[in-house]
Amino acid sequence: MSTTDSAGAPTTTPTPATTPTPSAEPSAASGPVAAAPERTLELTEKGPAEQGTRSDEVVIALSPAFGDFFRKTIVDLPLAEVLRQTLAGIEEQGVSARVIRFFAGADLARIAHAGAKLSGSGVSIGILSRGTTMIHQRDLPRLSNLELFPQAPLLDAEAFRAIGRNAAGYAKGEAPEPVPTRNDFMARPRYQAKAAVLHIKETEFVQPGRAPVELDVRIA
Amino acid sequence: MSASPERPRLVVGVDVGNSTTESCVAELPASTGAVGGPPATDPRWLGGHLARTSGVKGTSQNVAGIVQSVRGALEGCGRALEDVDVLLLNEATPVISGMAMETITETIITESTMIGHDPSTPGGEGLGVGRTVGYDALGEVPEGDAAIVVIPREVDFEDAAAAIEAARARGVEVRGAVVQRDDARLIANRLSAPLPIVDEVAFVDRVPLGMDAAVEVAAPGRTISTLSNTYGLATIFGLDPEETRLIAPVSRALIGNRSAVVVRTPSGDITARRIPAGALELIGERTRRSVDVDAGAEEIMRVLRAVRPLQDATGAAGTNVGGMLAGVRDTMAALTEDDPGDVRIRDILAVDTSVPQEVRGGLAGEFRLENAVALAAMVRTGRTAMERLAVALADETGCRVVIGGIEADMAIRGALTTPGTDRPLAVLDLGGGSTDAALADREGRIATVHVSGAGDLVTKLIQSELGLEDRDVAEQIKRLPLAKVESLFQLRLEDGSVTFFDEALPAEVFARVVTLGDDGRLTPIPTRASLDAIRRVRREAKRRVFVVNALRALEQVAPDGAIRRLDFVVLLGGSSLDFEIPEMIAEATAEFGIVCGTGNVRGVAGPRNAVATGLVARHAEGEDGATEIAEPGNDAQGTRPGDDARPGHDAEGPHRGDAGVAGAPTEVRS
Repeated sequence: MSTTDSAGAPTTTPTPATTPTPSAEPSAASGPVAAAPERTLELTEKGPAEQGTRSDEVVIALSPAFGDFFRKTIVDLPLAEVLRQTLAGIEEQGVSARVIRFFAGADLARIAHAGAKLSGSGVSIGILSRGTTMIHQRDLPRLSNLELFPQAPLLDAEAFRAIGRNAAGYAKGEAPEPVPTRNDFMARPRYQAKAAVLHIKETEFVQPGRAPVELDVRIA
Repeated sequence: MSASPERPRLVVGVDVGNSTTESCVAELPASTGAVGGPPATDPRWLGGHLARTSGVKGTSQNVAGIVQSVRGALEGCGRALEDVDVLLLNEATPVISGMAMETITETIITESTMIGHDPSTPGGEGLGVGRTVGYDALGEVPEGDAAIVVIPREVDFEDAAAAIEAARARGVEVRGAVVQRDDARLIANRLSAPLPIVDEVAFVDRVPLGMDAAVEVAAPGRTISTLSNTYGLATIFGLDPEETRLIAPVSRALIGNRSAVVVRTPSGDITARRIPAGALELIGERTRRSVDVDAGAEEIMRVLRAVRPLQDATGAAGTNVGGMLAGVRDTMAALTEDDPGDVRIRDILAVDTSVPQEVRGGLAGEFRLENAVALAAMVRTGRTAMERLAVALADETGCRVVIGGIEADMAIRGALTTPGTDRPLAVLDLGGGSTDAALADREGRIATVHVSGAGDLVTKLIQSELGLEDRDVAEQIKRLPLAKVESLFQLRLEDGSVTFFDEALPAEVFARVVTLGDDGRLTPIPTRASLDAIRRVRREAKRRVFVVNALRALEQVAPDGAIRRLDFVVLLGGSSLDFEIPEMIAEATAEFGIVCGTGNVRGVAGPRNAVATGLVARHAEGEDGATEIAEPGNDAQGTRPGDDARPGHDAEGPHRGDAGVAGAPTEVRS
């Protein structure tokens, strides 16, 4: 495979294997959401993450180094924007959100499922520092999920907004159309090495046995 | 050719229907069935089977399906094709049906007058009136002016909220907002005072600026009350009576919405236009009448009733309906290898339906349910196709093939094997393409009628009304009850009851509306429509096709056209297996004091297999009524001269007394 074409943006192709067909226009993602000045993300630990009681909440479960060591995804999307858009998607649906950090592992399914168990609605969004994301539900087996977005390099601000919106939809008992997943066959060869390095780095922040904590989120 | 007289003869009756091919195997005592033979003996029923019909009913394409069905039936009772003495083929009442659908209304918005697309999450609450202003120009609006701000996609929700707050601080009266992205609540949540906001307006750049406009958002669970009221609009915009009259369609179009925007432009308007779909020419035996398709289904059916029996129907050339009927005719002609000019349309069922269509000139990609008329047309084909089929079948199987018996007559004989039935008896055969009725009186005289429209039309209505891309999904909705997966352990059925599960359901059905398979399988339906909406569409489609057709058909076979004079009605055919159609028909006929129920052919086969069973029963009585024999390998030479010997067998409409003629054994053995 040629490595010289790296100048081109990832092409959007219909997914062959993952979830339903992306019927929505991919251009939805093209509009820059915020070319505005870079926002800063401040995450403060508030104490142990409690079991939620409100049925109208979605838990966002972050990986150990999210917004701590890491400030950007694998494609340099600021994590402040990732979290802001995800929260906005949930808020627009009139659902409340709670953000927790998971320490005991760097595996997305574990993180998301732990979030789902703590969520009052049973619905959670798990996000890794490099951007890989999953919507999970309490009653599902850990390795299953409601929606999975495995190709972190293709996730932009618009996608995170849609993920937040859908998770809130599930929490409300609606049946949202799954977020169109995009697929880029070049993403794998181009980003595999980087993803591996980022994963190893994230793993260094794992604290086995440490319980999840609730976070206070400030985006300025 | 025939089996030796000592051995019992193995007979297979085959009924080719629009969607399924059914067969029935029976053993007849040695000496019956021959012309002039001893009195009939009851056949020994060995079994039956059904397979999908291959190709269109009554054409040579059917052979594959017939062979599959016959083999299945024989395997079921441990016999082989070589043992078969004769294959009895129904005279597949040469009825094939086609469908077409035409939209007859459209909504056009001119000058971007209105946004009424009902986004799921509008922001704020209340009514705001002001002058439309672009986001970039918000800073230049003079103090004290009332403004409706128009916010394009590029603007972040936090910036938008900040700009509105800043403008307010300057003394600008920001009264409402129209937003391109799904940001209404996000913006509303960041304002110090509430503001009605309508979002997800795809073509926000087309909103006319500098015009008077009103934005209204109702509280959750309520609908707007001012913009949907003509006098409310007149009050807001200070309209005179003439202007009020002109703006009335705008308010009418907004009734039932939770949010809306109306912009007052010099000549903006909403038009609900009727599309001239053309006139349908119905040609009867004595009279011909013309009816405009856009008059709706009820009017078409009223006119059809007046010209009955229908000889043919045409549409004016160059109109939609003309193209529609020409299409049906061409398809039929291609299938039957007849000349399109010879194809006659013998019945039409018109059904009012609605189709989601994008509104022309809409700013938010609004869809409205536009009215449409669906037509099912039924065509009678010549018998030549049937003969070709018989020959092809004989070649394929190496068996003797006899075509015989009018379908409806056979259906009655089959229905009479239902325990508890006796003449006089009416049957309703609810199939895929046509609904057939037959009435046998005490003397055995039979009247029959075929009307177009059955299961396939129901599927089509469900598909178009729900805007489904996949016909199979519509078929599934038609066949199976619905349920909503409320949690991974809990399923709410359409009757409101709840089923619990010990093991978690699969993730892909979570929160979805699903169909409940016979084996308990849950299949998610890819639509945003609610369970109630889908259920309503399904039941309405069935009612408008099957109940209407059942009454229409019974009326035509009943003595003097009085349904009330019928006593017993037996429902047959695949659609009688439906979980709600028999009840709907029973309910509708109960008004006339009729006993109506689903048949149970041979006491075991349910409403299926009636015609196949009837064919064998008739053969056993020694009155085949057969007119043709196809021998393996002898081409069409087996065709009898008695081919057209039975006057009236091809007659249209109710042909009463037909069986008296057809009953004469006309088979000639080779």
